[in-house]
Amino acid sequence: MRKSPLLRISAALVFAFLYIPLIVVVIFSFNASKLNAEWVGFTLDWYRVLFHNERMLIAARNSLFIATMAAMLATILGTMAGIAMHRFRPRFLPFMALTPLAMPEILLGVSLLIFFISAFGENALSLLTVIIAHTTFCIGFVAIIVRARLSGMDESVFEAARDLGATPWQSFRLVTFPLIRPAVVAGALMSFTLSIDDFVITFFTAGAGVPTLPLTIYTMIKIAVTPEVNALSTLMMLLTLFLIVVASKVAPDLFRSKRLVKDDEAESKA
Amino acid sequence: MSLIQATRIRGERWLKFIVSAPPFVFLLLFFLLPALIMVVASFRYPGEFGGLAPLFGDLPAGEKGLTLENYQIFFSDFVYAQIFLKSLGVAALTTLVCLVMAYPVALLIARSPKKSRDLLVLLCVLPFASNFLVRIYAWMIILGPMDLLFTRFAVIVGMVYVHLPFMILPLYTNLEKHDPTLLDAAQDLGANAWNRFWKVTFPMSLPGIFSGSVLVFIPVLGMFAIPEILGGKDDWLVGNMIKESFLGTRDWPFGSMLSMMLTIVVLGIAALSMAFAKRGMRHA
Amino acid sequence: MTRTLLTSFFCVFFSFFVAACGAPDPALTASDEEGATEEMKPSPTGRFVRFYNWNNYIADTTVERFEKKCNCRMVQDYFSDHEEMLAKLAAGATGYDVMVPTGNVVETLMAQKMIQPIDKSRLKNLDQVKPEFLDMWFDSGNQYSVPYGYSITLIGYNAEKIKELDLPVDSWALIFEPELLKKLKGKITVMDSQRELFAAALLYLGYSVNDSDEAHLKEARDLILRAKPYWAAFNASSYIKELTIGNIWVAHGYSNDMFQADQDAKAAGRPFTIASSLPKEGAVLAVDNMVIHKSAPHLDLAYQLIDFLIDKQSTAELSNLTGSGSINELSLEYIEQDIKENKAVFPDAETFERLQMLKDYPRKERRLANRLWTEIKVK
Repeated sequence: MRKSPLLRISAALVFAFLYIPLIVVVIFSFNASKLNAEWVGFTLDWYRVLFHNERMLIAARNSLFIATMAAMLATILGTMAGIAMHRFRPRFLPFMALTPLAMPEILLGVSLLIFFISAFGENALSLLTVIIAHTTFCIGFVAIIVRARLSGMDESVFEAARDLGATPWQSFRLVTFPLIRPAVVAGALMSFTLSIDDFVITFFTAGAGVPTLPLTIYTMIKIAVTPEVNALSTLMMLLTLFLIVVASKVAPDLFRSKRLVKDDEAESKA
Repeated sequence: MSLIQATRIRGERWLKFIVSAPPFVFLLLFFLLPALIMVVASFRYPGEFGGLAPLFGDLPAGEKGLTLENYQIFFSDFVYAQIFLKSLGVAALTTLVCLVMAYPVALLIARSPKKSRDLLVLLCVLPFASNFLVRIYAWMIILGPMDLLFTRFAVIVGMVYVHLPFMILPLYTNLEKHDPTLLDAAQDLGANAWNRFWKVTFPMSLPGIFSGSVLVFIPVLGMFAIPEILGGKDDWLVGNMIKESFLGTRDWPFGSMLSMMLTIVVLGIAALSMAFAKRGMRHA
Repeated sequence: MTRTLLTSFFCVFFSFFVAACGAPDPALTASDEEGATEEMKPSPTGRFVRFYNWNNYIADTTVERFEKKCNCRMVQDYFSDHEEMLAKLAAGATGYDVMVPTGNVVETLMAQKMIQPIDKSRLKNLDQVKPEFLDMWFDSGNQYSVPYGYSITLIGYNAEKIKELDLPVDSWALIFEPELLKKLKGKITVMDSQRELFAAALLYLGYSVNDSDEAHLKEARDLILRAKPYWAAFNASSYIKELTIGNIWVAHGYSNDMFQADQDAKAAGRPFTIASSLPKEGAVLAVDNMVIHKSAPHLDLAYQLIDFLIDKQSTAELSNLTGSGSINELSLEYIEQDIKENKAVFPDAETFERLQMLKDYPRKERRLANRLWTEIKVK
């Protein structure tokens, strides 16, 4: 294969560009200085401080709860949408499910903010509004993954089930679902990861009283930058790393979903 | 028509209803309706304490109902168009840098043995598993001591860093499909390495470049966190202005108007890219 | 197979967080779903109170003492600038018990019916509060608010550097005059707050901080735009850190933040001190007040907290450890001598005359100011 040294070197540089910043974050989480400026000495203090921060507990719990609920909702609705899009080729559903993924996030966040406040009044923003917002953008991802799985399958299985007299529910329960289950699990994991990591949409749909982990990082970066942020970041990296590994075990083709988004986008607009 | 067929068709209709209706209704309520409300909000007056002024009620004229004022403000002063142009410029530059950086990586992966490709792709995606803000914060630590924090350069670095995989992945999926024998043929015909790349590989990868560019360009347009955290006093972009309207100066109608403008720009870019993609396909 | 994977994934995930939080609370793992919309119960006693305050505006020792006294935890959240506070509170701040808005925002929150009336009989320390901080224009009779402390927006600077450069610090000219700024290019930050920055410019031009006359505001804009090329950044609160490190020599910001920067610089053994100066043209005074959210989940603790924070010891700690002004008459004897003498913390009667409080602009004027602010940010 053709891989000139130039190609190797430039690719290596890009990989360095990708990894060095994260390594720096991790290293400074063990630095015994309050200012993130120079190395002073090794300490685990920032982790200790982090674990005793009540606000962080609330944020972690909020994030977990939101991500679990949003992943559940989005998986159910997204699986339905994926099946519908594959089987019945509806006109508007793909447009509605996929446009939120193609637009700048801020637009979805802002429109939901106006909607929640005008529909439910001041004080409307809560955990529930964040869950709804996250579900809205996760549905599309689940639908894409499920539909991709379905379109890769032999139609004759479903026909056989029908010919054997299975009701639609039976054929779904006994044939379709077992076949798409890896895609459903992958979609759930992906929704969970997207939700727990989301900043922009949460920023607009969570009221001041609903901190999540990314919102906490934001406040810490903006206001009081201490290596506590690094410690939290390191832990969150471990967490998402873990999720990615699980997801890639369950559905190796998950990482190609971006391409699928693109195809779908083109299709829904054509 | 037999009875069985009739039931089956009815069953199909039921199924269609059952699987389409819930996501449809959900998205109608929480995506389409909010979007429409934002369109209306862009024609309203700001409320007394922020938010929106009431549409009806016994307020004096000029404080309720609908108005074109927000759009008039936008077109009355060049600064607003200027900030859109600046954002487009930053998005274009980010896309270009992403392309230059993503190309060697995508090419390297595409030309690696099949077995190691998945691992290399995973290596590209992995940093993006860390939170978006963490990745920006990392650059804050690095650029701070170098006196490069709060500059346009820092903004571009942050933007590139956050959006790079959106360029690498589509490029790679395109390059992966290329037939290596074409390059052999070019070599046999006496083309040097540069010509082989420029005349064979590059033109064939245009569709990949294209989808990657759209995937980078559009999110960059709405970004506010990166200019806010890494940028300096001259680095406000459209996203910052929208954010400030909602969570700073409390002028929601104005923010809605800006969001509408951004939507129009994004749709314009999407339409343009669609047209290009179609033309490209015809040529291919 | 996938089911086991999924189950194990969730188990590992939850245990990770439980471990990470250091709170082996069985309720967290077992009944996460049903109770999660309510607050969690992290402390051993399960009691806590949520406090929404300005950044860097309470002493750690005060928090510790309160937690010990009430046998509960204090959970804090911060805002860093005036607009952020207003926007966030105006969009609803459910979940908080006690919030610390500045005067004009109390007015807004009252009109929005976001806060509840204060039962003064539950605050036994209220009679220690200095009369000049009671019954203020935004809440006559203190029906909804109780004063917390005050700070002044002024100029903070690296004392050694400024002496070396021989620059006058007694006027806003230091921030707005290109003649002086030439020596400070890229080493000075101003607040990323529309009202605070306009206030400084209006004061320098000889107007009131609440002036909403179009011509005057435009004059202020021009003054700001003329100085902007010399500024390093609009900065909400990281100027504390930048001053401490030495990246920035002059900052427009809150008096207590300058105090903090000086303390940090001393602690880090920096070869300079951070001083602050109250310009002769006057400055913005922010009187911050405690209010109780309409749907405060922990009302009893909220009252305990408020009463605790206006007490002489807490207010003295606020002055001693954060460099903010104390609203308690009896606290003075507990406050360190050099802080009492610091005019940026305790201005004398004559200086106090020159301080002004921000009032919320009406809708039309707000729009005008917003337009000018955008111009400042973009040009």
